[in-house]
Amino acid sequence: MLNFLSSRESGIDDPNLLRGYESTKRAVSLELSKHRDVERVHYGGVNSLDLDVVESRYLLSGTTDGTVHIHDTVNLTGDVKFTLKALANVSRSNKHKHKHSVETVQWYPLDSGMFLSSGGDKQLKVWDTNSMVPVDEYEFKGIIYSHHMSAIAVKHSLVAAGCHSSSLQLVDLKSGSASHMLKGHQGSIFSVKWSTRDEFLLASGSADNRILLWDIRSSKGPMMHLDQHNGLESDNYFDGCTSHGGYVNGLCFTQNGLHLLSYGTDNRLRLWNTTTGQNTLVNYGRIRNDSKKCVQFSVFNGSRTNFVFVPEASNIKVFDMHNGNRLSILRGHYTQVNCCKLHRDYQELYSGGNDCNILIWTPETDKAYDDHIKAQKREQPASGRSERNSFVRRTGATNDTWSSDEEES
Amino acid sequence: MSRKRALVNDLYKSKKRICAALNSDAKNSDLITEEAGSSYKADDIPCDTKVALLHLQGLFPVDRFDDRIPAMIIKHQLYSILPNRTLVDKQLNDLKNDGEVKLFKLGVDMDDYCIMFTSDYKAHVQGVMADLGTPKPVIEKFTQSLITKHRDVCISKETLMEEYQFTDQEITHLVKASVLTVKTIGGWWIAVPNAGIFMKSFLRGRKALLRMISKSKYREILRKELEQRKWPKICKLGLMYHLHDVIGADLIQCIETTSGQLLRLKDS
Repeated sequence: MLNFLSSRESGIDDPNLLRGYESTKRAVSLELSKHRDVERVHYGGVNSLDLDVVESRYLLSGTTDGTVHIHDTVNLTGDVKFTLKALANVSRSNKHKHKHSVETVQWYPLDSGMFLSSGGDKQLKVWDTNSMVPVDEYEFKGIIYSHHMSAIAVKHSLVAAGCHSSSLQLVDLKSGSASHMLKGHQGSIFSVKWSTRDEFLLASGSADNRILLWDIRSSKGPMMHLDQHNGLESDNYFDGCTSHGGYVNGLCFTQNGLHLLSYGTDNRLRLWNTTTGQNTLVNYGRIRNDSKKCVQFSVFNGSRTNFVFVPEASNIKVFDMHNGNRLSILRGHYTQVNCCKLHRDYQELYSGGNDCNILIWTPETDKAYDDHIKAQKREQPASGRSERNSFVRRTGATNDTWSSDEEES
Repeated sequence: MSRKRALVNDLYKSKKRICAALNSDAKNSDLITEEAGSSYKADDIPCDTKVALLHLQGLFPVDRFDDRIPAMIIKHQLYSILPNRTLVDKQLNDLKNDGEVKLFKLGVDMDDYCIMFTSDYKAHVQGVMADLGTPKPVIEKFTQSLITKHRDVCISKETLMEEYQFTDQEITHLVKASVLTVKTIGGWWIAVPNAGIFMKSFLRGRKALLRMISKSKYREILRKELEQRKWPKICKLGLMYHLHDVIGADLIQCIETTSGQLLRLKDS
């Protein structure tokens, strides 16, 4: 560390090298946060999480009972131990709430004044955050498993929604039309993601085991399909060119948009090269995936390596993206983990699951608070409080409340 | 915890490359450089995956099957020997493209490939087809051209007829000899004749091993203890072979303890 600092000072190394090293070190050493937790306001399993793009401050969560909650992640109390306060919500008494579960929530990519939610009641709702009233509602023919809006889009403001029965529709927020449909899938579409590099590239994964890449400007059909065997093993279109051996549940582009990760119910995670559509054949091993809906996972962009945080049953596994090594397992949830979202700047992970909890994972290198508490205890003079403590310690711990034999006899 | 720290240090400290001839573990031919006085040729030293394959080939008891099938290795057995799966996949792919090993798909249920050395496969196929009475030119054509040139697990009718000049009758002979098995209307899997003998033993042995572990207290057992237990004679493949298979297929979790390796049955 000191070596890095001195070479940065003298100009031998690029300043970003130290930043990359530290952030990678922190991202690798995540564990359940001892000092921070999220205020418990959820009565249903958490299906989807999102952090706003502008400041990464507000945590938006969508649950299985149709409610949406917003928490503030910034700590202004001055104390290290703090609970993320719930700021606003679409509660169960709100007459505009979703009638069934909320499957996906996403902040409007340009500011936190608006967010979108979609779910099992076949509706996509656009909400105003300050008044918690939906500004616009779009009705679809099947339940919406996943929707996504591009974060880098300048020329369009389209929301892609993947529904049941193979319909992938684009909703234009500017004009309010929901008529652009992309046809190509043969099964329900479980996840859609816009590329982080190209604002017109959309990836969709569905129950027909395929991932299709679309350029939405062309009207011909999908631009490319991702074949897990890279063209070998079958000449026939219908048998071959499946991306997974099962439904494709989750998709995630890396930050530079050059790679796409896909997670399927064949218990595999695959890494694809976005420009050529080739399967890079990185082997992550078997990652159990029993989820019947969209699974949200995230990628940390380190300086030389990338890490993937994937939910598996009730744990989250951390992998090195390029060589497939499993780095660690994050254990903390009681039941299935549905979503995990990485904080862009602070290397913290927020994960939500069916146990109605949102857990925060922070780097274990933050031991400053524990040391501070220990130092405080040592310095504390013998006050009344500490006498009482020592009295309790002397008498309480070793006694039991049953009468002793000596007294009875 | 220390493993994570070591990993991050690996990323940022440049490791000094020691000559591979001194380091007995790394037999990767890429590492051999222009060390003066080294008497090894880069190509002679096999890569890690090849060494693992040779080891597993040694484990396979060819004599117990009366020489009816050659040594067959399942791909995920390699994952239990070598730590980095992606590297194994890559080196295996290189070996396949060089023509040293061949991959086969054994059946619809098995989701993984079976590996066999090309020389073993050639000898086996020639033996089986000669016993069955397939006409000699067909055998010659098959072994000379198809086995050496075709790298895929499957083949289509067009490829057979155009590239390798097989007639319909010759294809019928091949299917009769069970070297080609039906996949779809115009396509076939390239298969191993008499593979059924192997499959029966293999599935039986795998079930027996998993049953042994599930009957233990807490569904876990120390590896040393398992190796000392009596292995049923019916399962001819041997305990070590099945152990590699079951660990590599992620059906069993290996946990390092102070008394050796502990094998625990995975909940799924």
